[in-house]
Amino acid sequence: MHSDQPSASDSPFEVADEVDEAALARVMRVVPLGAGVLAGAAVALLVLGYLAIYLLVFIPRGTIG
Amino acid sequence: MTELHPEMHERRILGTELLWAFGVGVLVAATLSMIVFTALTMNINPPSNVERIDPKALHLSGEFAEHNLGTTVAADGSVTTRVVATQFMFVPRCIAVPQGRRVTLRFSTPDVIHGLLITGTNVNTMVVPGYVAQVHTEFTRSGDLLMPCHEYCGIGHSEMWATVQVLPEGEFKPDSEGKVSCAQR
Repeated sequence: MHSDQPSASDSPFEVADEVDEAALARVMRVVPLGAGVLAGAAVALLVLGYLAIYLLVFIPRGTIG
Repeated sequence: MTELHPEMHERRILGTELLWAFGVGVLVAATLSMIVFTALTMNINPPSNVERIDPKALHLSGEFAEHNLGTTVAADGSVTTRVVATQFMFVPRCIAVPQGRRVTLRFSTPDVIHGLLITGTNVNTMVVPGYVAQVHTEFTRSGDLLMPCHEYCGIGHSEMWATVQVLPEGEFKPDSEGKVSCAQR
């Protein structure tokens, strides 16, 4: 029986994914590490940019107060 | 999810968050230490002068009367520059300062809030009616620097700028009254 709404099972090329629990568990072990690396890299770039401006631009411009 | 991925339990999330908080704490502490270190060893501080002055009598009071404006070298050798910021000009429009000597810059305004910076230096302050803005600095390179108003002060704001002429020690020559004017070039 076909309804008006197409479903994945209608097409031989779009079969619903079979979840491999073991593979999913492996991926989920890596995901938090990836998030940490991404956030760490973003913060590291920000801090490096700040340090570059501070040390290469602000400090050489001399004393202020 | 908990049954499927037991390694994702809350204790592990908490551990990650604490590790991240520790890292951020180290960064904040390092940044603050750097600021304190440069403040103590290199005299780099935010200008923090709080000094009242009557804006209605600015041109009558001694310090910012017209004949006192510009750069003056005191008997003890200290260099002080006094500038009035007004709609829409700095008075005087050219300021002579020495290279490699500590200079005290003092600004005030009789009308509205202005602001200024001197290009290529860390001089950057607001000039608020009723107060004297004071900045200490040392100009390391000679040459002409632009000093624009950087706080919108009215229709002529974009025309409000002055020149800071940084003179080498040999060319910075006060007259008999200790005043130094811009060299004519």
